[in-house]
This record gives sequence, C-alpha cells and structure tokens, in this order.
Amino acid sequence: MSTINAYDPPGRLTDLDETGLKAWNVFITNSIDQAIKGPDAGQALNDSPRSQFYDLTRTDTAADATEAPVTWTAFPRRIKVHSIGDNQRWQRADASRDVQDEYCEWSVTRDPSSGKITQVMFTCEGPEYWDLLAQSSPATVLQLYRTHISPNVQQNDLFGIDGSYQRRNRWNDSTTHGAMHLIQAANTLGAEIELAAAASIVRVVNGQELTTDQELIQCGKYGEPERNSDPHIGGAVNAIARQKADIALTNPVGLYFDDLKTDGWAAPDGSDPKSYWTYRRGDATHPVRAVYEVPADRNFTVGDITINGTPIQYGAQIADFITIRLSAVACRFGQSTGQPQTACVQFPPPPAGPAAPALAAVPLSAHGYRSSPAAPSSLTTRRR
Amino acid sequence: MQEFHEHRRATAWARKSLGAVADSPRDTAGAADATEFRISAGDRLRIDALETGRLYRHVTGIDHEARLMTPQELAELGDPMATVLFRRNIFPMTVQELLAALPQPTTPSQQAVYLISEAGQIPPDTAPGLHRDIRFAITRCVQGRDVDLLVSTGANADPATTFLQVAAWDPIAKVFNYYMRITPTWVWAGNSWSALAPGSRGNGCFDSHINGSVVMKELRQPWLNWQSQAATIQLAPDDPLRGDPLYQQVSGAQNLELTVRSLVSRWTAARLAAVTADGTIEHPDHLLRHLFTTTSVNLTSSATQSATITPTGDDLPLPAGLWLNNDALLDDLALPATASLPLAPASRYVDSLTTFGFRLEEKAGGFSRTGDSFFAFVTPEAAYEDNDVVRQMVQQAIIPAKFAACALMVDFTNPVFSTDRARLMAYVPTAPTAVAALSDRIVQAILAAAAKLPATSPEARFAAAWNLTDNSWATTFAQRIDTYLGHVTARIRTPSGFDDYVRLAESRRREFRAMRLNEFELTLPVTDIPADAPRLTMLEDATVTP
Repeated sequence: MSTINAYDPPGRLTDLDETGLKAWNVFITNSIDQAIKGPDAGQALNDSPRSQFYDLTRTDTAADATEAPVTWTAFPRRIKVHSIGDNQRWQRADASRDVQDEYCEWSVTRDPSSGKITQVMFTCEGPEYWDLLAQSSPATVLQLYRTHISPNVQQNDLFGIDGSYQRRNRWNDSTTHGAMHLIQAANTLGAEIELAAAASIVRVVNGQELTTDQELIQCGKYGEPERNSDPHIGGAVNAIARQKADIALTNPVGLYFDDLKTDGWAAPDGSDPKSYWTYRRGDATHPVRAVYEVPADRNFTVGDITINGTPIQYGAQIADFITIRLSAVACRFGQSTGQPQTACVQFPPPPAGPAAPALAAVPLSAHGYRSSPAAPSSLTTRRR
Repeated sequence: MQEFHEHRRATAWARKSLGAVADSPRDTAGAADATEFRISAGDRLRIDALETGRLYRHVTGIDHEARLMTPQELAELGDPMATVLFRRNIFPMTVQELLAALPQPTTPSQQAVYLISEAGQIPPDTAPGLHRDIRFAITRCVQGRDVDLLVSTGANADPATTFLQVAAWDPIAKVFNYYMRITPTWVWAGNSWSALAPGSRGNGCFDSHINGSVVMKELRQPWLNWQSQAATIQLAPDDPLRGDPLYQQVSGAQNLELTVRSLVSRWTAARLAAVTADGTIEHPDHLLRHLFTTTSVNLTSSATQSATITPTGDDLPLPAGLWLNNDALLDDLALPATASLPLAPASRYVDSLTTFGFRLEEKAGGFSRTGDSFFAFVTPEAAYEDNDVVRQMVQQAIIPAKFAACALMVDFTNPVFSTDRARLMAYVPTAPTAVAALSDRIVQAILAAAAKLPATSPEARFAAAWNLTDNSWATTFAQRIDTYLGHVTARIRTPSGFDDYVRLAESRRREFRAMRLNEFELTLPVTDIPADAPRLTMLEDATVTP
C-alpha cells in the first residue's frame, strides 16, 4: 500500500467544494502533524515524541496493515456511574448537551399534548467541519440546518454580526431544539487525533509496562478517565503500539455511528423497531447523523415503543443502545524501534506573571478541553 | 464406565462437598456465564453408550441416566439447534462446526462473540502457571431478528474436548432449551420450566440458570471479568488465542448486557403469560419468591480500577446496589427519591485494603496476590431476573405496585439475603390461587399476623407501610430512602463507617460464595475477615449490625 492523496471529509460528506476539500485535508494533516510532534518539553514532560503515530498522506501503510475499530456506548459514563438509578441518569443526560461527552449528542422532540417522544436526532459530527463549511459556503450551512433541524432556521440564527459561524446557536445548543453537530467542549476531531497520538506512547513505569485503560490514561493524561470513550480509545491504540506497530487513524478521520442494538425493543404493531433508525448524513459505512423516528403513517410514536416492556421516555434510553466508532489502522508490526517512556506525563507549573494567552479555539470548561500549549488554535487539544 | 469429562474447572467448588462429583476436585461440569449450564453436579453419564448422531436427554434430578429422545420429543423442540441441526442429523462437534452449520449471518449484528475470564486481568507474565479459564460466549440470530441461540465454550482449549454448551430459544414453546455436547453426540439437559420443577430445580445446569433464563452474573458496567469497553482481557504476546478467528471478532460485554437483559425479560414474559393464562396461578410461591427472597444475585462493583485508586484521588462512587434495590425501587416502581449516590473518600478505600488484607486467591492453583478485584468493591446486588419478574407482575397487574413496594421496603437497606423479607414468604399461598385474589390474600394474612407481633417485626413493618394512603406511600418511601442515603453519605466518610461497609459487603460476598453461582475463586477478593463471621445487616440509620 502507499500513501493517500488527501484526507476525505468525515463520512465522505459532499458539502464542500474543491477549495473546501483542500482546506479540510490541510486541517487534518496539520492536526496529525501537530499530534505526532506532541508538546515540547517546556509544555509537557514525557509526552513526545509519538513516533509510532503516522500521517496516511506522508507515510506508507505497509502490507501487513490491519484495521482496528474501537467502539463504545454513546450514553455518558460519567453520568451513569454517578447516578443512583436509570431514571435519574436518563433525566440528567437528557437535560444538557454539556454532559453528552461520548462523541454523541442528541436532541429530543416531543408531542406537545401527550409529551411522548416523536423523534430523537443524534449527531457525531465534529464541529471543526462545520467551522470550515461555514467559511467556505455559509449558504450550504443554512440549507443543511433547514433540512435537518427546521425550515424556520434563519441566517442570523447561525452567524454572528461579524459573519462568524456560531457553533452554539439556538438550533444547536439544547437537547430540545435540535442537534446539528457536536458542541460539548470535549467532543472534537482535534481531541480524537490528539488522544490517539498521545496514547501511542508505550509506557514502562517502575519497570512495569502499563496495559490497562485506566492506568494508561492516568499516566498519559490524554483524556478524561471517567468517559467510556477516552480510556477505551487510548487502551486500544496503546495495545497496538505495544506490538511495536505503527498506528494511524483511518481515512476519513472522524467519529461514526457503529450500530443501534434493539434487543428487547418492541413496537406496538410488531414492526421492527430498528427500521425506525435511519442515517441521514455520511456514506453507508461512515454515518454521522441518525434519527430515530416513526413515520407519520404509523399509528404510534417513539414513545409507544418499549424496551424490555418499558416505554421510551428519554432520548438517553436510546443512547444506551448506540455505539460510536472510530477506526485505526496498524502496520509494520514488530518493527517499531521507538523506546517506551519510563515516566508519566507531567505538566510544568504555569509561569509567573501575566497569564499566558489561551490558545484553544474553544472555551475551557470542567467537562471540556484543555489546550495543548504547543498547538495552534483548534488543532491538538487534550480532552480533559 | 467412562467419565463425563467435557466440562470446565470450577475452582470455587473445590473445597465443597459435592458427593460424587468428578474425581479431580477441581473438575465439575458447567458454568454460569451468559449461556452456560452444567449437566451434572453428581451424575455420571454413561457416555460410552452414547451413539453418534442421536440426541439424548438427561435432566439432572429427573433422569437417572441419559436416554435417547423419541422422534416425537425431538419434533416438539422448536429451537434452532433442533430445527436446523438435530432434525437434519447434523451434530457438530466443535464450536466452529456448530457456527458453520447454522445459516450464515447476513449482517454483522446477527452474530456477536464475547470473552470472559476471572483471571483475565492478571498479567500472564506475573502468573505463568495460573489457569486462565478464558471462555467465549457467542450470540446468534438464527430464525429471526432477535438472538435465539447462545453458545458457551472454552476459548483457550482444544475445541474438540473443551465444554460446548448451548441455550436456544424455542419460539413456539417459548422456553430456552439447554444442550451440551458430550462426544460423540449432544444431550438435551432440560428447558426453562425444568428450572422451576421440583425435581430439577437447582440441579444440573439449573443451579446457575436458577430461574430458567440465561445468566450473566456481571450484568452491569464495568462488567467485571468480561472483555468490554472498560477492560481488555490480557493475553501474552504469543498467546495462540490471538490468531483465533473467534477471538478476532470479540466485542464488548456492554452489548451482551443488553442482549441478556432482553432474553431474561423474554422468558419472564413467556412464563407469566403461561402461569396466568387461565386466571389462576398454580404455584403462587414460585412467583412471589422473586419479591420476598433472593433466588439469585448479580455482581456489581465500582467502575474504577482498584489499582488506580490513590489516597488523594477523587471520591469513589460505590455501586448503588450495595445500598438498596435501586433498580426495583427507584426505576421499576419509580419512587420519587432525590438523593445522590453516596461517595466514599478514596483514602478510606485504600486504607481498607490493608486493614482487611484484601487479596486475590486461587488456592487450587496456589495463586495469591495482594489487592482487590480488578474493579474496586465488588458486591452482590439484587438479581435482574428477580426484579424483572416483579416488574412484569406489576405491569401486568398480577400484583399492585404498592404491594411490591411495601414488600421491598421491609428491610430495604438489605437488598439481598434479607431474612426479614424472606419471612413474609410464609404468608404466600402455595396452593392454586386466582390472580385477582393473590395480593389481597397475602396482605390480609400479613396484616392478621402483624396484629399479634411487635412493631419491629417484618409483618408489622409491612402492615405499617400498607396502611399508608394511596396518595402518600410513594413519597413516604422515597423520603425514607433519601434519609437513609443521607446517613450513608455521612457515615461513609468516617473510618468506622467505611470499614463497616467493607464488612457488610464481605458478609454479602460470603453469602454469594455459598451459592453454586460462585464457580471461580478469583471471581471475588478474599479478606482477613473470618469465614464464619456473623452475617451483617444494614439499618436505616446506616449503621451495620450482626
């Protein structure tokens, strides 16, 4: 195998023109380059180089390549382990996009009279793509919102006075008025890339090779240990690295719906509950947008469908059954000559004096990113 | 007589008296994973007399020896093993042959492979002599869009000689049929009703499939012992299992949880429909024991890897099932409690590991290692299969929600192994009873007894709860739960309080160890707390007492 010419857009979406496609490739390759380089020693210790992580456009993928899909549950683990029951956790997860931190966010539509759910829209599209699309074709952004969210969306709902696209806008900042793309502060492609690269460092600390997901993420500090996604992605990548292989994220780099299981689901008319799960954006193998909705000609709604006998009352109940996926490719098994790090990542104390300028493109928050100081805006950002 | 040998180790049974169990004390048949079952706990099958290509039956406790199934019996089996294989004289002898003989999946979701090992998180290079007992659990949709066939088999053993067992759903009879290969053929070991029948209940494979459905003990995140999104079973770099096509298909146990829950509910629904079909329940006690007693348990734990917990780490959420039957009370019955999950200081947990001498031990193999189970603080919790029967009985108005809540609120601080709650079984009729009269008959019997008993008796506590008005019982129960969890939240931060909860969890683990569900010594940690320490009880003020 050889290199690829360029990275495709997530899901091989077709919204971008030629210029946009080139810009997207530049964004991904820059992000990957930055992630391969990692922070310098002045910004983080024991976190570079990431010599086993590579760029598909610049380094060959060898003939022994195997693909390694990594999947995890869309329901936020942090909410799950801190709740005392299902009803409590479903309510909490349905209450705010800011807690939907497993690279999947959703919005619930209910019948105003009965309160029953009529539709749940799910997205796993990273916001960076929309930033770029908004710069290259604002009209397309508006049209997509009108197609997927509401025909009532207006230009000034999405763009600020200065014309800049607002990731969080009235049609994409809640769990009730639509979900066009990811907005939770940690849910970005930049974070995915940085996480995968940082996790490719093999660590042997005090003579012991670290192998478990939680040990690795605590030591490598590449994400939030309380999520399903971050430790699992990191653990899977590191397991490949420990086989002395090189690792890359497959093209197109992105986060994708893997599946909706419907074990125990039942529709009132005996129809297949999975038939109401449809992908609305992305190609057949890389879906990035899904909707769960019963067609209008049926005599029931989502809220009439049961799971093990219990009606669907929350979008979060569906999220329990959704898996999200990313894919890595590994090759040159047994050939890496990179040496393990023998210590965990350490961040030096911030310099005295005036606060350093924030370099991340997104606001920091308790649930979100912490910028990697070496990175340019919105590229390599560490999930925290 | 040739010994039945296609079974697996059950190290936790090694020190129990099992009568005529196989010659090696470490060898007993069966398992208690998603689909596993055992055919004999003391039986010896005349396998030298078994003929190739014939289906036999041997229901432990009913059949003294295996016999050929009659053509009519075979015709009455409607599951995929019978209809797709045995009726066509196909008798696959390995898991690979079995999967190949079935209609091939047309979508990836029609087959899933899972992996479990109680030793799976012990690095192979640190315990090279340790048996790892890695098993596959495989689900398959054969006759429709839902899983109807589950396979359990050894993963790191010769497929021709390791155990190979199947639970298969019969959509006509609406039961699971249980099969196992005994070379050179297959044996039908019973169906879901066998689990409830007096002769076979608790025997053979039904000592783990206690209520007739498939079993996944570690049913909740983080799925202790399973490969999942929370943990990967560790293999040596050169472990031949890595090259096994089945291993390469392994997916996370988070998916198996969803499947098993649905299968348990499928059987519960079928069972309730059958036993209430004519408006009279022949054995009311068979249903009500799910409410008043602990017929089985699941194992739960914190979601945090024990080895990563440090004294200065974040507070540790212990599993909710330690404190109460949260699934039944807060979710199924929707009591409007508002309390948060109690959090334990990490330092208390770390200290307790030394205080109580936590370690993993497999005496059968001479293995011992300091520390807790891979995920911290494992404890038995109320079984999904018990709760599901209660939930569906309420949904189908076999019992009122208030009745179920009043029963569960008796000793609600002890969600499993409650002797107080179990005492109320004495008031459950054992003779055929009309569905419409069932709960009222029990209530009246308890109320009558309560009038003559102290206010602290289980009967009087049930009566006090029952006498709450229809408008107030749910909120009153919720307030009691909130108050109790408030006490727990305070006490768990104290050294004595936390240590009490360690002792409480160990007390419940001792109860679990006495069950046949407990197959492997490495399923649970052991401590320095004596094995004969008194059973402990949690009180509503969050104190613990013998």
